[in-house]
Amino acid sequence: MLQALFGGMMGLSLLYGLIVGRGEQVASAMLEGAEEAVRAAFAMAGAFAFFCGMTAILRRAGAIQALGKRLSPLLSRLLGPELPSDALEPVLLNLSANLLGLGNAATPMGVEAARRMGGNSDRASNALCLFLVINSSSVQLLPTTVIALRAAEGSVSPASIALPALAATAISTLVGVLACKLMEARSWG
Amino acid sequence: MGLILPLFLLLCLGAGVLRRVPVYDVFLEGAKEGLRTAWRILPALVAMLCAIRAFSACGLLDALCGLLAPAAALARLPRETLPLMLLRPISGSASLAMLKSILHTYGPDSRAGLVASVMMGSSETVFYTCGVYLAAAGVKKSRHTIPCALLAWLAGSIAAGWLVAG
Repeated sequence: MLQALFGGMMGLSLLYGLIVGRGEQVASAMLEGAEEAVRAAFAMAGAFAFFCGMTAILRRAGAIQALGKRLSPLLSRLLGPELPSDALEPVLLNLSANLLGLGNAATPMGVEAARRMGGNSDRASNALCLFLVINSSSVQLLPTTVIALRAAEGSVSPASIALPALAATAISTLVGVLACKLMEARSWG
Repeated sequence: MGLILPLFLLLCLGAGVLRRVPVYDVFLEGAKEGLRTAWRILPALVAMLCAIRAFSACGLLDALCGLLAPAAALARLPRETLPLMLLRPISGSASLAMLKSILHTYGPDSRAGLVASVMMGSSETVFYTCGVYLAAAGVKKSRHTIPCALLAWLAGSIAAGWLVAG
């Protein structure tokens, strides 16, 4: 997918640029892009380090486990009886880590949860489908990467998008969950 | 609204102090990991910003935005944000590069910049996330997973337009 995206965009741009006589501009734009990426990564690095440092404290204080305990009743009801009992813990830890923006901690737990939910079947269970949809709709409380990028671009209020972003991610998760519940009724595939 | 960030930081610090975490040492550990992340995403960011800059310099991005304008108007989305919306479920680094480009061109506090920021935070890289976890589960029939995840992405993106005044 990424090969096609990168190759397609670069190739199309060069071809189209040459046809309309902007080949030179396209080539220099690529170089500008490369330079800009390095500048952006450096500008963001400080905020990245800062947020990761602060959330590391939260993580060490046991916030993932504490949040997981609170989410437990809601999730065991949502995922239903199909959820293998040994999968509940990694699911809780994965979602709690995601909520706190600890992507690096969330992924291994998510992989473990998915492995236990997969079982021996080659067909995804309702619980697995729902878990994947929740994970891919993003449940982060504070979008720290976006805030870091906004700060690097000189926003007067980088965190001003926190509340609308939380509302938008809540809406997307809710729609995903509802859609899953509707589809479960008509068991597909 | 501006209180969310300071309150979140206070929560981090408060929880740490209360649980007797060595806050300075742990902060340093986390910061090191953050710097490593910035370093790790750099090559992909270079690739994707090159592609996006080229795509916009040759005029194809404008053409695409123009093509999508009617759909954008319908959803109250600034047309400049639609390419980001389309990239969001496909690639994390491409959408980050596109967000950067939008913030740079139109300003982080313009309506397009705000909608793009909210859009970026409202969804994950659907295909990547589902791909990794489906592979981990060893499942071939993913049933309604992808359609439902894409519906969630669509809802989040449209919500971004409605949630940012303008």
